[in-house]
Amino acid sequence: MKRGKIWAVGGGKGGTGKSFITSSMGTALALKGSKTILIDADLGGANLHTFFGLNRPRYSLSDFFDKKVPLQEIILQSGIPNLGLITGSIGSLDSEGINHAQKQKLFRHIRTLDADHILIDLGAGTHNNTLDTFLLADNMIVVTVPEITALENMYHFIKSAYFRKMKFIFKTYNLNATIQDLWKNRASHNISSLKDLITHLKESSDHIRNIFDSEMSGFAVHIIVNQVRTPRDILVGLNLKSVCMNFMGLPVIYSGYSRQDDAVQKNINSKEPFMIFNRLSPVVKEVKTMTENILTGTNISVRKDLDDGCLSKIL
Amino acid sequence: MDVYLKYYDLLEQPPEATLEEISKNYSDLKTLYSGDSIEITALNSDFSQELQQDYLSRLDDAYEKLKLLLENKKPVLVKKTVIMDDSLSEWINSIKCFTGVALKSIRERMGVDLKDIFAATRIQPQYLEDIENEQFRSFRAEVYLRSYIVEYTRFLSLDTQKVLADYLPRYRKFHGHNADT
Ligand SMILES: Nc1ncnc2c1ncn2[C@@H]1O[C@H](COP(=O)(O)OP(=O)(O)OP(=O)(O)O)[C@@H](O)[C@H]1O
Ligand SMILES: [Mg+2]
Repeated sequence: MKRGKIWAVGGGKGGTGKSFITSSMGTALALKGSKTILIDADLGGANLHTFFGLNRPRYSLSDFFDKKVPLQEIILQSGIPNLGLITGSIGSLDSEGINHAQKQKLFRHIRTLDADHILIDLGAGTHNNTLDTFLLADNMIVVTVPEITALENMYHFIKSAYFRKMKFIFKTYNLNATIQDLWKNRASHNISSLKDLITHLKESSDHIRNIFDSEMSGFAVHIIVNQVRTPRDILVGLNLKSVCMNFMGLPVIYSGYSRQDDAVQKNINSKEPFMIFNRLSPVVKEVKTMTENILTGTNISVRKDLDDGCLSKIL
Repeated sequence: MDVYLKYYDLLEQPPEATLEEISKNYSDLKTLYSGDSIEITALNSDFSQELQQDYLSRLDDAYEKLKLLLENKKPVLVKKTVIMDDSLSEWINSIKCFTGVALKSIRERMGVDLKDIFAATRIQPQYLEDIENEQFRSFRAEVYLRSYIVEYTRFLSLDTQKVLADYLPRYRKFHGHNADT
């Protein structure tokens, strides 16, 4: 059986549009003819089903956790061809409520789902379960908005994910004490940031440098800037790319942006999937563009559009 | 070249970028990292004043270096020091007319290879040979021939004006006074 590509959408801050973007990208993939499954892993505040106008889902992840129903059997019809939905359990569990064994079992089941693409919607915050699900993905995606608080949380989220992965890897090499000690005594080593820590570790031995090269170099986060209102907001993604590389030492890909559109809220309230009922909204095209870019691992090119002034006219 | 790749990296441009593109990115990056944009403010402790100073000075340096590189894109002239001893310059002074044959014998006595002239001037050796053999057919317009002779004589430290005054009339005569001037 083929193994589908796993996408995880997180980003730290609440309300940036993670669920909206996940549901819309999933729809875009399904409309292209790919077999797609959405999973609502926001165990504390599951609401992905709402984006498809479903209000009392028949099954949810609590059937999987509590009643041991296989994951494959709790997939709901989203109402859109090729698009299945696994809903979170509303209210009954919070993300800290599942234990290590349950988490491993969920990951195992996710990996064996029969689909081309599996998109996982994560909750806000940087809880370990959230980070672990994020790290499970082939495509790690963060959704942010052009606002200082959202960017602060997003930086923190990306660094936390990197740090957690680094700890996992070092553990498999029996080096977890090294990294823990170094971080505990960081002041004496003049380490004040994650970037310093990485630099210090890489310089400490060839062995460790090789571990970074072989295990961590694939770590690349896709950034989506949601709810943009001005051309300057669109540049945020470009700037984040530069900032993350220069001052966190972490590569990111600017996959796309989507503008603020009141139709989004209207559609949710009238229980109509956005991508189907709003074909004329520019957001539909923007979502398709970011989906394509994530599929191919490319950066969106905005500089030229901005220079030509064509974006300022529409925004 | 490795060091230049580092400069290109800093300016976040590929090595084939034009100076114009580099300048644009330079000013964008400078604005981003010297101001108080939201992307920078949100970095908090990951962006100290020292880090900022260090980054900006590296950026300035990289830009200056690339600007110099791209403004002087021509290869550096590696003019072979021609040994002009007294007897050689006396002999050159005694030459009545700078024909192609004369130019060739001067060059050979100086021990200069056509490849040396090519390396410095980027004039194809074929054309240099044609000048020396007075293959006037190869030069469809006088301006080209003239510019080649200027470079050729400069390389050999000859009196450019005198060579032109001797050589060009022969070319014109061949083309039956029809050549443009
Ligand atoms: N591009 C947009 N234009 C207009 N409104 C938007 C846009 N994206 C999201 N919204 C609005 O923002 C609200 C929050 O979106 P969403 O639920 O997708 O965020 P979230 O990041 O999943 O939140 P949480 O962290 O609570 O899970 C939605 O109710 C929606 O109406
Ligand atoms: Mg959500």
